[in-house]
Amino acid sequence: MTGFDLHRAAAVARKEVMHILRDPFTLALVLGLPVVLVVFFGFAIDFDVKNLALGVYDRDNTRHSRQLVSVFESSGYFLPGAVDSPAAAARGLDSGRYSAALLVEPGFGRGLGGGGRARVQFIVDGTDNSKAQAVLGYLPGLTGAALRKFGAAIPADPVPLKTRFMYNPELNSRWFVIPGLAVIIIGLLSILMTALTVAREWENGSMELLLSTPLRPAEIIAGKIAPYVGLILAGVFFVNLVARFGFGVPFRGSHLLFLGGTVLFALASLSQGIVISVVTRQQQLAMQLSMISGLLPSLLLSGFIFPVESMPIFFRYFTMILSPRWFMEIARGVTIRGAGADDLALPLAALAALCALLLAAAFKKFKTDLEP
Amino acid sequence: MKRTLLAFIRKEFAQALRDPRMKLILFVMPMIQMTVFGLALSSEIKNIKLASVYAPSDAAARRLAQRFTASGWFLPVAAEGRAPEDLVVSGAADAALVFPAGGFARQAARGRGGVQLLVDGTSVTRARSVEAYARAIFAAHAAAEAGLPVSAAPFGFDVRIIYNPEMESPVFMVPGVMGMIVCLVTIILTSMSLTRERELGTFETIVSAPLENYEILLGKTLPYIVLGLANAALVIAAGFFIFGVPVRGDLWRLFSAALAFVITTVSVGTLISTVSKNQQQAMLGGFIFLFPAVLMSGIMYPVENMPALLKPVVYANPLYYFTTLLRNILLKGGDHAVFVFNMSALAAMAVAAGAAAYGRFRQTLN
Amino acid sequence: MNAGPALEVRGLSIKFGDFTAVDDVSFSVKRGEIFGFLGANGAGKTTTIRMLCGLLLPTSGSATVGGLDFSDGGKGIKGKVGYMSQKFTLYNDLTVGENLDFAAGLRKLSPAYALRRRRELFDLIAFDSPLSTMVSSLPGGVKQELSLAAAMLHDPEIVFLDEPTAGVSPASRARFWALIRKVTELGKTVIVTTHYMDEAEQCGRIALMRTGKLIALGSPAELKGAAFPGPMVELDFNGPAPAAALGGLGKAAGLLELSPHGMRWHAAFRDRPAMEAALAALPPGASRAVIEPSLEDVFIRLVEGAER
Repeated sequence: MTGFDLHRAAAVARKEVMHILRDPFTLALVLGLPVVLVVFFGFAIDFDVKNLALGVYDRDNTRHSRQLVSVFESSGYFLPGAVDSPAAAARGLDSGRYSAALLVEPGFGRGLGGGGRARVQFIVDGTDNSKAQAVLGYLPGLTGAALRKFGAAIPADPVPLKTRFMYNPELNSRWFVIPGLAVIIIGLLSILMTALTVAREWENGSMELLLSTPLRPAEIIAGKIAPYVGLILAGVFFVNLVARFGFGVPFRGSHLLFLGGTVLFALASLSQGIVISVVTRQQQLAMQLSMISGLLPSLLLSGFIFPVESMPIFFRYFTMILSPRWFMEIARGVTIRGAGADDLALPLAALAALCALLLAAAFKKFKTDLEP
Repeated sequence: MKRTLLAFIRKEFAQALRDPRMKLILFVMPMIQMTVFGLALSSEIKNIKLASVYAPSDAAARRLAQRFTASGWFLPVAAEGRAPEDLVVSGAADAALVFPAGGFARQAARGRGGVQLLVDGTSVTRARSVEAYARAIFAAHAAAEAGLPVSAAPFGFDVRIIYNPEMESPVFMVPGVMGMIVCLVTIILTSMSLTRERELGTFETIVSAPLENYEILLGKTLPYIVLGLANAALVIAAGFFIFGVPVRGDLWRLFSAALAFVITTVSVGTLISTVSKNQQQAMLGGFIFLFPAVLMSGIMYPVENMPALLKPVVYANPLYYFTTLLRNILLKGGDHAVFVFNMSALAAMAVAAGAAAYGRFRQTLN
Repeated sequence: MNAGPALEVRGLSIKFGDFTAVDDVSFSVKRGEIFGFLGANGAGKTTTIRMLCGLLLPTSGSATVGGLDFSDGGKGIKGKVGYMSQKFTLYNDLTVGENLDFAAGLRKLSPAYALRRRRELFDLIAFDSPLSTMVSSLPGGVKQELSLAAAMLHDPEIVFLDEPTAGVSPASRARFWALIRKVTELGKTVIVTTHYMDEAEQCGRIALMRTGKLIALGSPAELKGAAFPGPMVELDFNGPAPAAALGGLGKAAGLLELSPHGMRWHAAFRDRPAMEAALAALPPGASRAVIEPSLEDVFIRLVEGAER
């Protein structure tokens, strides 16, 4: 870059540090909020649906039907309650009293032994996607458990399938959620921080003064991003401490690799904020844009909760421009799987590419013209 | 007095709408987000990368492995001589099927036909789904190999999903996403616009107007309430026309729910603006409200499971009630008991938030 | 040090789309001069200054500032001039020391040099509060003076001040202008914009701008002499002026200008005889006094003259 002067950029960085230190409220928030949110949601989020109210209509009332109901009950997922009729069950589902209903017609027990087909109706409330999906996921296991209880001739597993869940044998969903949370929160805060900083200087007129000196836009951008990288690293550090010692989330990979990924992610997120700041030149607009373009896409499209692999092809490619998506893979890979640098080459390269792209965009879009 | 208030409201409205960017945020952005999220989001687990490890000569194993690919859930990944654990560590595979050495069929006859399924345990929902799919495929395979039709298992469930029988993802997701978008738009617009006025000092011009405090507050917030309602209407219409999300309930119920919700969020936005000294704090304040609100609305994960200690936060979240109401009214047709309960909660919040906003607002004016 | 003029401007124009903000402006400024731009808001004063600082590039015309032109995009010029903007002076949430350190860092001044310059400038503006003072706690006048110091930290030959005394008390304004004079005594050239007539009187030469054009250029005395070759009288009717008297005066031969100033009226004539003839025709109750025209009078005459 022609004429990029490190001294001038450093002067801008020093000034930015002073601004940050003089705003203790924001500083405390940036360092403390991630920890608070991770702690809160680390406890709050649990993908296992339990204690679902189940309306049971058992017209058969044989040993087998009662065994079936007890299988549901002992699974811990359902709380069965009796209903008088299918209509009552339907009303219960409508009102939300029951999340699902089990309807056993007379002849179920007989049908079991007779080599025929004994079927029961299982009705799921489809309005809540997370619940419905989970419930449907329980059915195969419940079928198997019921078969075992019946002592049926055909074994539940004609071919024994031994499943081993690697890295997380107890299926602790916190290990999945907490790194994801950290990524989202830190990514969002980064964008919010830098989105204002350039716009503020335009709005209060100091940018004009800066531009009347030999200072170049590239130096302004570099000087403004640098201090925040440090802040982010500190935030990530605290969150990691909480995750490890508070929630027992493992850290099986290389710290250096994680650090590198964090720096790249920080740069990408901060650059995104700077682009917004440079383009909007107005604080209010910068904030609106960063919130709107940051919050929902980050939460919904980064693979935090809704898997990227489940998206249609177009969107799977679309999410490639979201830096949280890549750092999510890196964070989870390093902490839970212990993945190495060559395993994570793609996410790392993608993050680096995003960084470069966004920084270039910030630089190109930095208009130095003043209004008449 | 009434006439001055109306004139004031009209002026605020004109000002708010004059900004072309406001229209962008209110109308264009939500549409884009609705489309993207409605089409993209699905909690259904699919496209699972599966590596199958078996000797090249093992025909029985190959047949079973092919069933996995044919099911549509799994994408085959070549093992290329790497150990299955390696494949999962590196992320090349999400799961690995390891057949017993010495031929699958032969081992099965000896009762030692155990197949190992290694699953990446990082994502619990995905891990469970992988196991569930695998079991189902195994069962079907066993039945097919034994020459029995699949449905000859001794018993099974007839599953019916009501309110969304085709399990169309958009119908699952869109009501939730709608609520999120309306929440986001109203909070951002209100908290930031009002803070900006305070920063620029244009608030002073209002104080000189011959209006009561509550009239000033009304004048300032009414445009955003109306705009928020318009945004909600747009979003619901988009859901209906683009995604086929049904509107099975009464429109007046929908309107009341939206009204109560928008009043609450606009009040929250106003509150944020009164405690923020500058734009940056307003933004952080908005974030502090929005992030938990969206996460704990019941869209991302079931909130009924939350530990009792933390549950009160859900009950204080207006987006939770609004999402419940949206889902109930749109998909279920609007059950009266549900409506009354959630509307009362939402209305109570609207009143509380409005009162708090008014109290703080009055303070800042003096 | 160059021997030529500090600033040489020829046919400078800048257009923003269809709007011509500065239209064919030419002038030159000598070294050590206090050169003022006078005009209403939107006349083009700030835009002209921004061009001369290297902040904006002109659409046509040329200028040499300190011997340098715009051929390098204004980079060289930026290094040679100091600039005080209208809207922003110093960062309120930083201390005096931090603000000056930043200015020094931007100009890449060595710490020793920056220290020396800071002492010299603090002497000049008589600033003796500690460096750790928060800018937000300083009174407006002191902030302006510090801002001037920051603009001069790198010892520029030419200093551009855009409405430096806006929003500042009259006492501070007077103090600031004393400072400006001291600065020129040090050999610097100061170019300042103002809309205060009394400040314009203190400039060596003034450029009067209106809708982007330069409508007058000269020292205050020259401008007054050119606008009012003859004497000027201030009339006080001790109440509202009788229409008949005004009407008669308005038609008097040799009248150049008749304008209200508060409750009084200023009448300018071509020469003494014309004045005496017109005054003789006035009712006896009106008091009359010969006065020196002010720049305000000049301004009104030129502006309304352009409109006629």
